[in-house]
Formats: sequence, structure tokens, C-alpha cells
Amino acid sequence: MPNEQKASVLQGTLDLMVLQALASVGPMHGYAIGARIEQRSGGAIELNMGTLYPGLMRLEQRGFIRAQWDRTETNRRARYYSITAAGRSQLQTEKAEWARMTAIMQAMLEGDAG
Amino acid sequence: MRFRLLEWWRRWRETLRHRDARETEEELLFHLEMAELDAARRGEDVREARLRAGGVTHAAEAVRDQGSIRWLSDFLRDSRHGIRLLARSPLFTAAAIVSLTLGIGANTAIFSLIDTVILRTMPVQEPGRLVQFAGGRVLSYPLFRQFGQELHCFTGMFAQSSLGRRDIVFDEEPEAVKAEVVSGNYYSVIGVSAFAGRTFDPEMDRNPTPVAVISHAFWMRRFGLNPAAIGRTFRWNGRVFTIIGVTPPEFHGMTAGTLPEITLPLSMAGEILEDPAWLTSDSMSWLSVMGRLRPGYTIERAQTEVATIYSRVIRAQAEHSSGNEFNRQQILAQRMPLEASGNGFDSLRSRFAEPLRLLMGIVALILLIACANLANLLLGRATMRRREIAVRLAIGAGRGRILRQLLAEGMLLAIAAGGLGVLLAWWLSNALVVMMSNGGERIGLNLRPDVRILAFASAISAAACLLFSLAPAIQATRQGLQPALSEARLGARWHWGRGLIAAQVAISVLLVIAAGLFGRTLLGLYAIETGFHREDVTLISVKTDRAGVQGSTLRGQILESLRSMPGVASASFENAALSYKGSLYGTQVEGYTYEPNEDIHVQVNYIAEDYFGTLRTPVILGREFNDRDTATKAKVVVVNEAFARRYFQGRSPLGKWIEFKGPKRMEIVGMVKDIRPRSLREEIPAIVYVDAVQFNRPQSGVYIVRGTGIAGIVDSALKRVDRHLLATDVRTLDENLSRSILRERMLGTLAGLFGALSLILVSVGVYGVMAFQVARRQKEIGVRMALGARPLQVTGMVLAETAVPVGIGVALGLGGALGITRLAEKMLYGVAPTDPVTFAGASIILFFLGLLAAYVPSRRATRLSPVETLRCE
Repeated sequence: MPNEQKASVLQGTLDLMVLQALASVGPMHGYAIGARIEQRSGGAIELNMGTLYPGLMRLEQRGFIRAQWDRTETNRRARYYSITAAGRSQLQTEKAEWARMTAIMQAMLEGDAG
Repeated sequence: MRFRLLEWWRRWRETLRHRDARETEEELLFHLEMAELDAARRGEDVREARLRAGGVTHAAEAVRDQGSIRWLSDFLRDSRHGIRLLARSPLFTAAAIVSLTLGIGANTAIFSLIDTVILRTMPVQEPGRLVQFAGGRVLSYPLFRQFGQELHCFTGMFAQSSLGRRDIVFDEEPEAVKAEVVSGNYYSVIGVSAFAGRTFDPEMDRNPTPVAVISHAFWMRRFGLNPAAIGRTFRWNGRVFTIIGVTPPEFHGMTAGTLPEITLPLSMAGEILEDPAWLTSDSMSWLSVMGRLRPGYTIERAQTEVATIYSRVIRAQAEHSSGNEFNRQQILAQRMPLEASGNGFDSLRSRFAEPLRLLMGIVALILLIACANLANLLLGRATMRRREIAVRLAIGAGRGRILRQLLAEGMLLAIAAGGLGVLLAWWLSNALVVMMSNGGERIGLNLRPDVRILAFASAISAAACLLFSLAPAIQATRQGLQPALSEARLGARWHWGRGLIAAQVAISVLLVIAAGLFGRTLLGLYAIETGFHREDVTLISVKTDRAGVQGSTLRGQILESLRSMPGVASASFENAALSYKGSLYGTQVEGYTYEPNEDIHVQVNYIAEDYFGTLRTPVILGREFNDRDTATKAKVVVVNEAFARRYFQGRSPLGKWIEFKGPKRMEIVGMVKDIRPRSLREEIPAIVYVDAVQFNRPQSGVYIVRGTGIAGIVDSALKRVDRHLLATDVRTLDENLSRSILRERMLGTLAGLFGALSLILVSVGVYGVMAFQVARRQKEIGVRMALGARPLQVTGMVLAETAVPVGIGVALGLGGALGITRLAEKMLYGVAPTDPVTFAGASIILFFLGLLAAYVPSRRATRLSPVETLRCE
């Protein structure tokens, strides 16, 4: 089942993607976060609500993001998420770790190919 | 890690607050709306977009799972459901909670007493290194000093003696406090330091200093923990004492439960007790002595050293007392054995340890019966809910989920009963302490419910919950695996019900037998001949220290005044036997040779004229004291039968002489019948009576009055002599003796109470099982009656069915009792542990009670008309 495989890959990186999105754009509501990720991935990653919102809840519980009810431009009530200081530093750590990991994988895969 | 902890903390909070369900839904709906709008704007399929976003319900569920802790929120939901169900059947709930509360409360109460009296060790340093002289041997002050100077085996050795309740004056009014004297090194040897201020120092032994140390409890009660209490002064016999310190709150003195409020230096004893002889006489043995073993010494090695010195002491004393050739070798052979004293000079522990353990066993059995009843009740409910459970299992609810739900209901009951049980236990254990306090003043036991007690209560509640709700829950959910409707399962339930009946009856037989045995013990004790007429004899303690006249003159005046009061038939005075244990004198008796390890002490009681007459104790041989026995005449004594038995093998003691470690021989001129002065159970001690006038002693003692309405006239009789006289204690001999069989009273009363409780619980149990059994066979009974069976036959059938498990239970109970009651033999009196009357009585009671409990539902079944019964199926 490709969908579930995709989701399990997502699980580990979802936090990183959400934090990155919030860090670069600023406060967004859940739908905008999902749309932003989908857009940045060139449509490769589509998040359904069952994946996105528990992830947001988890990040909020760990203190990386904060949620607040606010109004949209069209004056609709929506929950806005913003990144916290702890979230920023977590993002830095994770990014560095991700870069290191990709480099290792790259080297390994290329070495085996050659 | 930190963030993980944060996440968990917020999950807990979320679970308990359980907000957000609506907010989450709103957020998700907003998401959908946005997705649709977006899709519409881009010209895509709106339905397709909505599908991609996923279902609101599913997402909300996922958020809830992330947001909270699954099992906890399930549990809370089950609990709410359980509370609704329990509230719907208040009678069942009340019955369940009450019986469980009784079980848990009784267990916790007894445990908290055991915890205080037996489990808690003394708050002293290395109590294992403390040793004392075995068998409660007491030492005279000179001997204590000599041991202290010459023994090398102890790093320190202290003496202590309780003074009982004494009057001290802080401001104007005298107040009674529990007092004791200790040697100056007491606190340093046991290793207890002052909580506030300071304690005594060894210097005080050489240098009598009028200071006092108070207990933490007294500090709280009298001074409200005010630090200014240190430095306060009080008067005792006109002497001014200064409070210098407070002992720590967890320190109870050397004996659990005695808790002296005020402690004074031993070197002040001469003044406090108005007789310097307490500190100089080597014939007054009154000090409990303990020593701390020097590192490297064993108790055996210390023993050798003590023996060496003691034999020298004895030899010196023997030679010192001139004209004392008698029995010298035997005196020299006296020993001072040592024993470990980690538990303190602990009478409370030795007196109540066994009864408390026994009661613990009894209450544990009560709890078992209560659990069995609850299991039965819950099983009945689960059976009634079988359709609901079956449906839920059929639509795919996990068996574990349903199990948890049934357990939640049990746990609710256990929590409620546990909470109430702790309250009940608090009340009950205090009531028991009052009972153990001998009807006199309260034993100073620290009974505040602490963590250990609460942990115990929680543990037994949890265990009870598992016991009574797990089995029914498993039974109830097993049905899902058996598609056939319930006939087979009901059979299983009947099986289980019979087992319950048998077990409950067996336990109850045991408890009723225990109640019977202890009850008969108590009756036996009440019937003991005490050697005197105890009706209408009153004991009066009088505070005399502020009176103008003292000594025998005062005593004479008080006696005269008492005798002149209306309602008084006769009055006398004594210093020892009836009120408290008097002095023990080392005694030599003509023609008697002590065994090497035999105790040479005999109880001596100073009495005034008309003593035996007042108690109506018959003089068996010779005469009692009379006017001619004055101080200048040859000293004479009267002994009791026990004395004659011990020293003369029952031959006449008349004309023989005795002596107390002194030069004067005294002739025995009379023998009186044995009396049981204080205790109905203890061996009658050998007593020597001496005439208070002839010896011009003692200062303190008790007035004994025969007559009616004494309590009302005591004050005016005393005021007529001197307005400063004060009666500190007035009680009848009957009360005195009831106090002496306190252990038995406690066991008899509580065993009776618990036995009765078990009968009630068993009746409920049998009734419950049989009512269910009858209900399930209503159709069969209806058919039988339609075919012409008489109601009596139906009833007989039900009773016969009940008789089998009840009979088995009785047999099991009897078998168990045969094995167990033997263990309690020492606590029984005048009844064999396998007393056939008690055993038969208990069996009969339970057998018929069981049948009676079954009779009620069986009658109800026969009263229904057969037509109705058949129609209802």
C-alpha cells in the first residue's frame, strides 16, 4: 500500500517540514501549512487531515509551536500556528542532523554504485 | 527528553480537562472548507479534494488519541458509565460499599495498631546494641551506681523509672502529668538528642539539678509549641524545676505507649518522692537499667563481667549485714542475666502483640467474606447485563475493553469503600486505644494516619477489587465464545455460587468458634474467685503534699474521717497490692534454700488496721495485726497462702521468721487467703503484709473503703481533714479488675463483634446465591407445581440443595478450626481450644442460618402462581 508507506516516511519528517514552513512564512492555519508543504514539494506530498492535525498537536504539546484562534483575511475564525523559540532551535538541530544524514546516505549510495 | 516529558504532561492535562473536541471539529471543518474553496478556485473537482483531505471523524479521533492518554480517557469514560450504573441501583451500591468498608476499615484499624505497637522500632541509635537485665529485674540505686562505675562492657548504662501520674503546678492550679526519672546519661546512651533546648548530661548524677525535659506531645498540648516553654518553671512538692528541653516528636520513651510528658533527673528522686532512701537504700529495687554494649563485646561476654561484679556486690552486702549467716551461699548464687532490649522495656508490645496478630487474621477473613459477597453481587449484575455484553462483543468490542469496563465498576466500589474504610479505621483504632488504655488514661500512642497506613489501605482495596470483580468479569465475557444461550453458563454460575457458599460458611464457622472461645474465656475469668468481696469496695488515691500534717498522723485522720461518713462500713489503707505493684524486697525465709537462679524478691504490702476486714479476706491461720503491734514491739508479719505454698510447701508458716536484707527477723503471725489483687489472670504472687503503723511507713498508698455511694462523699471527707487534700483517683475494685482482663475483654468483644458480622455477611451471601438459583429455575418450579407438587416439597428441594454446600462449608470450617485454635491456646482461659460445645454451637448456628437464608427465596418461588410463572417465559 503505497499510501501507508508514504505516510510512514512522512511521520519522521513531518515535524521538520511543519517547523520549516512556519519558520519561513510566519503564523499560518493548518490548511495553509498543508498547502505550503504540498506546494514546496511540488505536489509530491499531500497531507490529509488525519496526518497533519495530530502532528500539529504533537508539536504543540512538545512546546515547538503555539496555537491561537484568530481571524483570516476573509474574517473567518481559524486556528493559527506559530513557531516558538524552542521550535526554532529544534529546527536548527534537526536540519543539521538531516543534512548530515543525507550526506552519509549520498556517499554510501554513490560508493556502492561505483 | 525534556520535550517528551512536556508532551506527556500535556497529554495528562488534556485527558483530565478534555476540552478541544469541539474546537478540533471546527478546525477540521475549516480545513475542509478551505480545501473545497481552493479546489473550486483552481477549477478542480471539489469532491475529489474533500476525499483527499480525509474524514473529519477519523482525523478528530487521531487528534484525540494524540492529545490524550488512551487508557486513561477510556477509564474515565468507564468510570462515568459505572457511576451512572451504580447510581441506578442504590441498594446494591450501598450494600456493596458498606460491607467492603467494614472489611477495609477493620483491616486498616488493626494494621495501624500493629504498625504502631509492633512494627515501629524505637527511634534510638542502634537499638540492637542495647541490653537490659532479663525478666524485668529492677536494681537499687546504689547497685546501679556500682555497676555503672565498675562495668567495662558498656559504653554507657542508664537507669529509668516511671513515676506514673503526678501533680505539678505551673501557675496556680495543679495539673496531672505523666512523669519519669532517668539518670543523667539517659539521652546520650540511647542516642536521642533534644528537639529544642537541651537534654540531661551525666554531670547531673553527681550534682542534683532541678531541671526537666518535656515530650513533644506535652509541648504541643500545654504550650502550643511555643519556644518560650523552655525556661518555664513549675513546682513539684514545693521545689522549683526549670524546663530545659523538648524531645523529638517520634520519641515515645523506652516503652511504646507510655510517653512520659515530663522527665526529671534521677538524682532529684529523693526530693521528688519525699524519701532519700530511694537513692541510698540497697534494699529498694525500683530502677529499670539498660546498657549499650561496647564495640567488640557480645552479650555473653558482658554477662560474665556482670556476674563477676554482682557476686562481689552480693558478698559485700551479705557480710555487711551482721548476723546474717542465713542462706549466704544461696544469695551468692543469685544471678543478673542480661537480654537484648531492642524493643525497650516493652510491656505494651508483649501484652498486645499476640492478640493484635490474631485480630489481624480475623479481620482478613472478614474481608474475604465481604469480597466473596461482592463477587457474587457483581456476577449477578454481569449476568443480567449479558445481552448488552453479548451485543457489544458481537459488534466487535474487544474482550479486554469490556473486561476493563467491568473492572472499572469494581474499582469505583473499592475506591469509595477504601476512603470510607480509612475514616472508619481512624475512628476504630482510636476506640481500640482507649480500650487498651485500661479504662484509665489514654496510652500515648501516635496513631496519626501516615503513608504506611494509607498505602496499606490502598493495597487491600486494590486487592479486594481484583478479588471480587475480576472473576465475574472474566466469566461474563467468556459467554461470547459460547454461542448457545445461557443454560450451560447458568449451570456454571450455580457451580461457582455453591463454591462461594461453602467458602463463606467455612470462614464464618472459624470466626464464630473464635468468638465462642474468647467469649467463654471472658466468662470464665469473671467467674474466678478473687478472694475477697469486691462489690462496694472503692479505692481512693489522695494527693497529700500540701496538707498541714503528714505521715501516719494524717493517715489516721483521713481514715477516721472516712469511717465517720454515712454509707461507709469500714475503711483501711495499703500501699501496694490493689493499686500498683509495690516494692519487691529480697527476702530470706527460715528453712528455705533458694535455687541458684531463683528470684529472691517478694512483694511487700504495708497495710493499715482493718485491712482484711474491709476486703473481707478470711484469716486462715493465726491472727492479723492488732493494737499491741506498735513500733516499739517486735516486728511481725502476715503472709498469704501463696507465700506458704512457695516457702513452706503448704505447711503452716506460723512462728517461722523472715527477713528483708536487714538485721531484723520478723515472725510470721498469720496467714490469709490468697487474693487476686489486680489481675484475674496473673499468678497469685507471694505477699508479705506488714503493719504500716509498726514500720511507720509508707508515705503513699491508697485508701480502701467498703460502702455505697463512696464517690460522692470522698471530697467532703477529705476537706474535713485538710482543705488541701485532693482525691486524684476514685474507682471501684470491680473497675480495677475489669481493667486487668483487658486483653481478654478486647479479644472477647472484638471476636464476638466480628463473628456476628461474618454471620450477617454469610446470610446475605447465601441469600443472594439461592435467590438467583431459584429465579433461574422458576419455570421448572412452575411446572412442578402445575403438576401438583406441594409448596413444602419445593421448599424442601431448595433447602436440600443448599444444605450440601453449607454442610461442606461447616465441615471445612471445623477442620480448619481444629488446626488453628490450638495456636491461640495461651490466650484462652478455662476452655480447651477444641471445646466441643463451642464447635458444636458454631456448626449448628451456621447450618441453620444457611438454611434460613435459603428458605426466604424458596418461599417466594412457591408463592407465585404456576400459570403466571409459566407465562412469563
